[in-house]
Amino acid sequence: MLASQRHTYWLLIVPAVLLMLVFYIYPLIQVLWISVTEPYFGLQNYEALLTRPLLHRIWLTTLRICLITTVITVILGYLVAYAMAKVGERQRTTMMFCILLTFWLSVLIRAFAWVMLLRNGGLINSALMSLGIIDSDLPLLRNEFSVIVGMVHFMMPLAVLPIYSNMSGIDGRYVSAARGLGASPWEAFWHIHLPLSKPGLIAATILVFVFSLGFFITPAILGGGKVVMISEYIQVSFEETLRWGQATMLASSLLFAVLLTLALVARFVDLKKVFGAR
Amino acid sequence: MKPNKDLSKTLYEKDLYPDEQSFAEDCALIAAERLRRGEIDRRSFVKALGMLGLVPVALKFGSGSAAAQAKELVIVNWGGPAVEAYANAWGAPFEKASGTKVIIDGTGPLASKIKAMVEAKAVTWDVCDTGTGTTLVLAKQDVLEDIDYGIVDKSKMAPEFAYQQGCANYMFSFVLAYNKAKVASAPNGWKDFWDLKKFPGGRTLRKQPNGMLEACMMAAGRSPKDVYPIDLNLAMSKLKEIKGSVVAWGSGSQSQEVFRTGEVVMGNIWHTRANLLRRDSNGEILWNWQDGIVTAGMWNVPKGNPAGKETAMKFIASAQDPASQIELFKVMGNGPANPAAASMVPEDMRYIDPGQPENMKLQILQSGYWYEEPSGKGKLTNDELSREMWLDTLSS
Amino acid sequence: MKGDFREKFGRGLVLGGAWTVLAFLILPMVVIFPVSVTDQYYLSLPKDGISLEHYAAFFTNEIWLSATAQSVIIATCATIFAVILGSLCAIGCWRLSTNLSESVRTFMLIPIIVPTIVQALAMYRFWIDLGIIDTYIGVILAHTLVAIPYVIITVSASLANFDLRQEQAARSLGASMPQTIRWVIVPSILPGLLSGALFAFTISFDEIVMVLFITSRAIYTLPKRIWNGIEDHLDPTIAAVATMLIAATLALLLLDLWVRHRRQRRLEQAASVGE
Repeated sequence: MLASQRHTYWLLIVPAVLLMLVFYIYPLIQVLWISVTEPYFGLQNYEALLTRPLLHRIWLTTLRICLITTVITVILGYLVAYAMAKVGERQRTTMMFCILLTFWLSVLIRAFAWVMLLRNGGLINSALMSLGIIDSDLPLLRNEFSVIVGMVHFMMPLAVLPIYSNMSGIDGRYVSAARGLGASPWEAFWHIHLPLSKPGLIAATILVFVFSLGFFITPAILGGGKVVMISEYIQVSFEETLRWGQATMLASSLLFAVLLTLALVARFVDLKKVFGAR
Repeated sequence: MKPNKDLSKTLYEKDLYPDEQSFAEDCALIAAERLRRGEIDRRSFVKALGMLGLVPVALKFGSGSAAAQAKELVIVNWGGPAVEAYANAWGAPFEKASGTKVIIDGTGPLASKIKAMVEAKAVTWDVCDTGTGTTLVLAKQDVLEDIDYGIVDKSKMAPEFAYQQGCANYMFSFVLAYNKAKVASAPNGWKDFWDLKKFPGGRTLRKQPNGMLEACMMAAGRSPKDVYPIDLNLAMSKLKEIKGSVVAWGSGSQSQEVFRTGEVVMGNIWHTRANLLRRDSNGEILWNWQDGIVTAGMWNVPKGNPAGKETAMKFIASAQDPASQIELFKVMGNGPANPAAASMVPEDMRYIDPGQPENMKLQILQSGYWYEEPSGKGKLTNDELSREMWLDTLSS
Repeated sequence: MKGDFREKFGRGLVLGGAWTVLAFLILPMVVIFPVSVTDQYYLSLPKDGISLEHYAAFFTNEIWLSATAQSVIIATCATIFAVILGSLCAIGCWRLSTNLSESVRTFMLIPIIVPTIVQALAMYRFWIDLGIIDTYIGVILAHTLVAIPYVIITVSASLANFDLRQEQAARSLGASMPQTIRWVIVPSILPGLLSGALFAFTISFDEIVMVLFITSRAIYTLPKRIWNGIEDHLDPTIAAVATMLIAATLALLLLDLWVRHRRQRRLEQAASVGE
């Protein structure tokens, strides 16, 4: 093919790239810019990140919730993926269907369902009460517990899918061989299967952690003002107290945190694979 | 039981992210509900206001002045029936007296929008209907004109609500509302509110400290007249005492919802919402004015407003007319800002007017001055520092 | 036989655990349905019988209907733009397949990793300058931008299975680039395009964070209504809306599975014909 003909293909790429540069990248740079120029030029907004206890606490809350969510999600996700790899075709399809349905369902609807279940006088509390197990409402909503429940629920498909896709590629004969050589089921799993499924585990961990960091809807609804994560505080400083310098600084620091996490793990795994781009 | 159809209307009128809902917006919601329930008859309401337009406005201004007369003036509020109500109560009289056409824009004077407009030098609003909190936040951003108290009459409002960059357009209160069926006896003041032993059950407080700090101070034993200056550390320690039982409300309808679902038995909420709860619950949920915190809705004029500062100030002055404020009170439920209007409130509505002398003497007036003062911590004002500490304590 | 027992026990444990987790995933969606047909006016299970009044409330209420219509309009437009721009970009990158075009493709995936709140903030600020806050254009543009990467991914995956020689043959027979794309490439990557369109539509239809920032009164999408409902006034109508959305999601999912299944069958047929 002629070089000039080849070049015409750039014409296909240009519109999308231009759109992205002008309406996506430029505004992001603007955010970074505001974070060092408002109220005046300098790093004073970032300095607050070090000196203001409130910001420490919000970041700590965010990291703690993200870590707990990630650990729970990845362990439970692994369990589901493992079961899926072991069961027969029909059961597997059903399981996959449950995962995909959760994956595709709107995050708001899921948060709504949890509010309905967890609130005072909600379905769980009234069920427990009618069974005589409790005699006053358990505080299930508007605390870290409800936030973590909601987040684990949201993130589960993001953990199961990569782990399963990796696991389904593992040759079962390795484990059989180990068993044949006298290893207990547990030993075979621990020494053979688990190491082989590590790529999927790592992918799941990254996905869940990175998406948890910037999560907004679920903490805002299930936290009810009692659990404030970084995203919600960005919203407060931006729209309510009009401290755009602080809001953009927090947004930038959130962006940096995500990029840093990805940069760290990029040394060990192919990120494009993780995000399904390859 | 009839299905509750409130939701649609509530949602329709509701616009903002509820966390930063202002009282002004909430009034629009309430009025929308009342209109829907048929409590306000639209036709007779409009007729009455039309007649009001014939009543000579007490103030004389603009006429004969050589200053260039602006052609139109844009007032922004939270929409819904508030558009019509403002147009009739405040727009028409001003139009008659000054010849300036008044347009009510119901898109909502969101603080971030006002700031963005002024900074982009593309201001389309002349007068904004906000609250004390928003006024202080905006003042700090240097995007508002000073109120010209040469034109606006300071004596026609409580002096506490004559801010440098905003002044009262109506009044409302933070009051102690309670569920009669779920408390042993009627609570009296904030000390009772804090007494979880005597009055077990959930409480609701606002997500923002404005109106809450004062209650904390009184609960800590300060006498109502010594509430200011607020000791923020003391206020936070009071909040910590009951934090485990506190549900935070962001919007007026949310403050009603937590009572309705039975999650709370007491709350520090707006009197307009307390009144709706009283009516909806057939008197199960009540409030009292004891230790209520009276505050005001605010007029703001953004810098570089299209009709010019003078016209805007003249409008604000014209809106001080007691008759107009009474009309607004009847439709929207927000109390007249002009003390002279108190005696004009119909007998049967006085119990819901925070400005009535018998109600007023039980309550305290919120001090904007304290909120404006520097906190001594960094460059933060008391308003900013208290918001931060409140959120911190509530979420820790 | 002790080992066999342990193995069975372990298997049971794993299966039981997995199904418990799946039940945790599905349970919230399942309970929404009975709540949506409650005969009470507040969120609860039906007491004296079932009632469809909350569905009626949705379908007779102009507010819910207009929100749904707005969401459909926005999602449709955003899908069209995202599919056109995203698939052209993917085709271009695939055909060029140089280092530079590879980097461009990676660059286009940035919106996936940027936290939504950061995007929302950035767009809010810029949309003010452009004067497109609270307009259809503003929301459609925002949704198009975040949907493009997903279209690129699905289309690229489809292209990976497409034989480059078909394209070269078409071009050497004198077909122009647009003709080649329209008649040769698009038909063969249709499943990828459809998947991408489904992704884009769902993303836009469900999107709430950006909408909260860049709209105020004129644009009021369905998620925004639901959001306000959850915050202010929990009502069985939301459960009815949620049930319908779950049903729609199920339908879309089945459609997607069907498309995949058909493609699989066609590939198999093609393979057997080829033999």
